[in-house]
Amino acid sequence: MSEEKSTVARLEEEGDIAADYLEGLLDIADLDGDIEIGVENDRASLVIEGGELAHLVGRDGEVLDAIQELTRLAVQTSTGERSRLMLDIDGFRADKKSSLTKLAEDTAEEVKASGKPIKLAPMNAFERKIVHDTIQKIGLTSESEGEDPDRCVVVMPA
Amino acid sequence: MIDEALEHLVKGIVDNPEEVVISEKEGRRGTTLEVRVHPEDIGKVIGRNGRTAKALRTVVSALAGRSVRVDLIEADEAR
Repeated sequence: MSEEKSTVARLEEEGDIAADYLEGLLDIADLDGDIEIGVENDRASLVIEGGELAHLVGRDGEVLDAIQELTRLAVQTSTGERSRLMLDIDGFRADKKSSLTKLAEDTAEEVKASGKPIKLAPMNAFERKIVHDTIQKIGLTSESEGEDPDRCVVVMPA
Repeated sequence: MIDEALEHLVKGIVDNPEEVVISEKEGRRGTTLEVRVHPEDIGKVIGRNGRTAKALRTVVSALAGRSVRVDLIEADEAR
């Protein structure tokens, strides 16, 4: 129990360091945004809500991923430990998650009906994890195939 | 603002933040920001396969609303 507590405390510390780094960036860029810190799935989670932050998300989340990467490094520099924190801006990842969950569910139905595996389009690690998790919940199996950036999920009959 | 933002981003990820120096240059191909860091930190700001350097360029260009060159340099190199 105490070990679990210390993990949460460590993740909360990660969140605080990350929030300082992000807040500094928003201040300098003169952007309004509220930063919410939490712990989700054993990771520190940071959500910035602002409304006019689309350019910080970028095409297909490219800028968001870059900011997340730098924020992880800032935490690592401060704590000496690798960080797996997740950053979201204006619901980009949340939206992505619900559309990928739907895709995984629909694909699972098709695979169940046909009994044949289906290969999905290439996805990044974050996207693949959402699909794998959903497929597992449904009770089918899935694997990743190929090399980044062409790595994709194959959904298989149980 | 862009140079300040870059300075903040870099200072947060190096072990020697006090040695980070940013200079801005206007050239024919647009703005270039030169980042000098302590020699021990150059690997950190470049990252594996240039991943961190790419992230810095992506964020800075997004904030600037245009493509900005970012050059990463070891502080003790001849000027």
